[in-house]
Amino acid sequence: MLGYIMKRLLSLIPVLFVVSIVIFMIIHITPGDPASSILGMEATPEEISELNERMGLNAPLPIQYKNWIVKVFHGDLGDSIFMRQPVTEAIKEHLGPTLSLALLAQLIAIILAVPFGIIAAYKRGSAADTVIMSISLLGMAVPSFLLGLFLMLLFSVKLGWLPVAGYRPMKMGLWNHYRYLILPGFSLGTIQAALIARMTRSSMLDTLYLNYIKTARAKGLKEQAVLLKHAFKNAALPILTVIGQTFGTLITGAVVIESLFNIPGIGQLILNSITRRDIAVIQGVVLFVTLVYVGINLIVDLLYGVIDPRVRLDGK
Amino acid sequence: MKRKNISKVAAALLSLTFVLAACSSGDGGSSSSNNNTADNNTSEASAPSETAENEADSKQYKNEINIAMTAQPPTLDASLSASNAANGVAGHIFEQLFTMNLDYEPMPELAESYEANEDGTVYTITLRQGVKFHNGAEMTADDVVASMNRWLSVSDRARTLLAGSVFEKIDDYTVELTVGQATSDVMILLSSRILFPAIMPADIVENAPAEGVAEYIGTGPYKLEEWKADQYIHLTRYEDYQSVDLPSSAYSGRKEAATENLYYFFVSDHATRIAGLKTGEYDVAESVPLENYDELYGQEGITLYSKPSGSLNLFFNTSEGVLADVDMRQAILAAIDCNEVMLASYANKDHYTLDPGYMNIDQPQWAVKSGSEYYNQANGEKAKELLEAAGYNGETITLLTTPDYQEMYAATIVIQEQLRQIGVNAEIASYDFPTFMETKDNRSAWDMFITSNSYNVIPPQILAVNSSWAGLDEPQVAESLAAIRSASTEAEAQEEWAKLQQFMYEFASSTTLGHYNSSMATSDKVEDMVYFDHTIYWNAKVEK
Repeated sequence: MLGYIMKRLLSLIPVLFVVSIVIFMIIHITPGDPASSILGMEATPEEISELNERMGLNAPLPIQYKNWIVKVFHGDLGDSIFMRQPVTEAIKEHLGPTLSLALLAQLIAIILAVPFGIIAAYKRGSAADTVIMSISLLGMAVPSFLLGLFLMLLFSVKLGWLPVAGYRPMKMGLWNHYRYLILPGFSLGTIQAALIARMTRSSMLDTLYLNYIKTARAKGLKEQAVLLKHAFKNAALPILTVIGQTFGTLITGAVVIESLFNIPGIGQLILNSITRRDIAVIQGVVLFVTLVYVGINLIVDLLYGVIDPRVRLDGK
Repeated sequence: MKRKNISKVAAALLSLTFVLAACSSGDGGSSSSNNNTADNNTSEASAPSETAENEADSKQYKNEINIAMTAQPPTLDASLSASNAANGVAGHIFEQLFTMNLDYEPMPELAESYEANEDGTVYTITLRQGVKFHNGAEMTADDVVASMNRWLSVSDRARTLLAGSVFEKIDDYTVELTVGQATSDVMILLSSRILFPAIMPADIVENAPAEGVAEYIGTGPYKLEEWKADQYIHLTRYEDYQSVDLPSSAYSGRKEAATENLYYFFVSDHATRIAGLKTGEYDVAESVPLENYDELYGQEGITLYSKPSGSLNLFFNTSEGVLADVDMRQAILAAIDCNEVMLASYANKDHYTLDPGYMNIDQPQWAVKSGSEYYNQANGEKAKELLEAAGYNGETITLLTTPDYQEMYAATIVIQEQLRQIGVNAEIASYDFPTFMETKDNRSAWDMFITSNSYNVIPPQILAVNSSWAGLDEPQVAESLAAIRSASTEAEAQEEWAKLQQFMYEFASSTTLGHYNSSMATSDKVEDMVYFDHTIYWNAKVEK
């Protein structure tokens, strides 16, 4: 097991290396630079070029890349030009809101999706199945920002129950923290729920008609036990994969929802950095996102072995 | 059986709705009580000052103003950035030697007085004594000289319009400005509010990195408490602030710091800004998109502000490509229907004015109408004839634009259609804003572009006469600008400017498409806020 984890972690190095080159090239090939963002629309080309020169951005690309990657290997992702702080600090600051939001959204998604997915599979072909699947289809089709705007209009503007937008850190009180995250959490969670519910249903259907389920029923087990202990446990692997993927998406930046609800998370960080061409931050965040994605996939793979002992990760 | 199932599902859905509603209603109760708690906490911190205020006035005021602004400023180093967001916030932290009043006249701020020598080449400026920076140090001539000389070198406007000028210290409270060339607009340039010369401590100025000063220490009524990246800027009242003893007028005169805390939240989404204003989350929504203006108009509890604040301008590539031919440019001018363009960009006739002038239409000194025969012609027949005479042969004309500025993009789409109507093969090249800016500097990549530009105080500051903006590099422009700047009377300067505007239309280097209004909205509990070129909050307060 440990050997497997080590192997996976080592395989991360070439991935990150390739990502670092690709993102570096993309950013530097894309026109626009931090100087023009700092100086504003009315800056002249001479001024922009002069400021870039002074910030060391006119140096040849291989030299800039070498300087950057050497620092990265020392754990230094560089400094943000606009935030006047190290990129690692910026990521740390922006990770909190995103993590809170992602966990809440994921919780909402699982609570909504799994039971409804199981019901839909169990009552396959019934009205309940049709209704649940239609709603989930609608959920997949509705863009999250539209749902977000609708929720905002209803619960904040019309009813005044929840704040429109913004973010309060957890140190200002747990409730104060979460009341700002409920609407964005629902906007993201219900849409992820649609996907998970559909996956739960199809995965359950695959197992519900297998022989061991018939055996379980034949030996007189309660339907609930058959469903949850036998069928669901075996259907859980693909569901876990989808949950892992959706969590990856949530944590690496729910860009639109974060900017709609003004949550200073990773999504906002990357969006703002791109518009102002804060090169060090874009590069740092992309590397971080890659790391998180690969990390979540690794955790999901490890969980496979826990849920299903037939899966042997170390190949023995 | 089926019916039974449907009713079960319906019941499940219904109960889910109730659970959600119950959760949310629970939120509601605690939400408002939490709000109060937050308020109480903050007011506790400021109890002494609040009590004093309350005694003076029977009305109760909040000790914070929550402002939703559209974007995070790139920096608060006002001498470096022309960004509106930067200048707006920085204006509360930093002050200048001179600043503008409501009539755009220079007024003393950190300067006590000034004297110019006879030929207008040397200005001796006496500083106010006892003015303290936010770090407690007194402002002296060393700080002023360092700040002003840095401004002369980093601000493009200052570098071009005050080329060869230098500040020197005479004694601790006197500085001397020697200008490279005597002009009538030196004081206006010194008090200008875009890329303004902020006075900062000398050591901060001298150690400033390229991307702007590392610390924001000024002499203004507010000091920077916290800048939480991507969330907000928090300014607090500077208790040792020394205000000038003059009536308050725009940027000049008495500043009270009436409310202890100013919070500038960065809220890029329009809908969120408006919704936040309606629910009281924000007291002020800076920049209301035009599509929301009508929605907010007449709504209870909301005050709307609107005023002309700039012009939408079309610039031609006069140096390269098909449009290097003046007849081609004139053909395009003949085709343009400015009303159509402005309507598409600003949605409602109340939000714009059609006028050929490049300068502020409310500023009588410079609002001239010369060149009006070339403006808003909407004459397709004439355009086609001019095209034929110019020998146009279906070459592609590239319209450069960016969807990041909705009004610029909308105007470009309309112009493209108007050009197609007269048989011009017009294509749009659309990029994100930084790419747009970079492409604009490559003259072989475009034939025309449209930008919305805020008003400037004097003609030499406008982009339409700036050779590095769109490449207009005719000797006549430089001569006219020199004539305007050295004119002995206002009337003479106006006449020279009218001539230059006429030339720009005849040469068809650019055209104004129209003048736009900017709008913002506040809760009707906001008092004494001034909506000028930037929004001024130092005397503003919000009733509880």
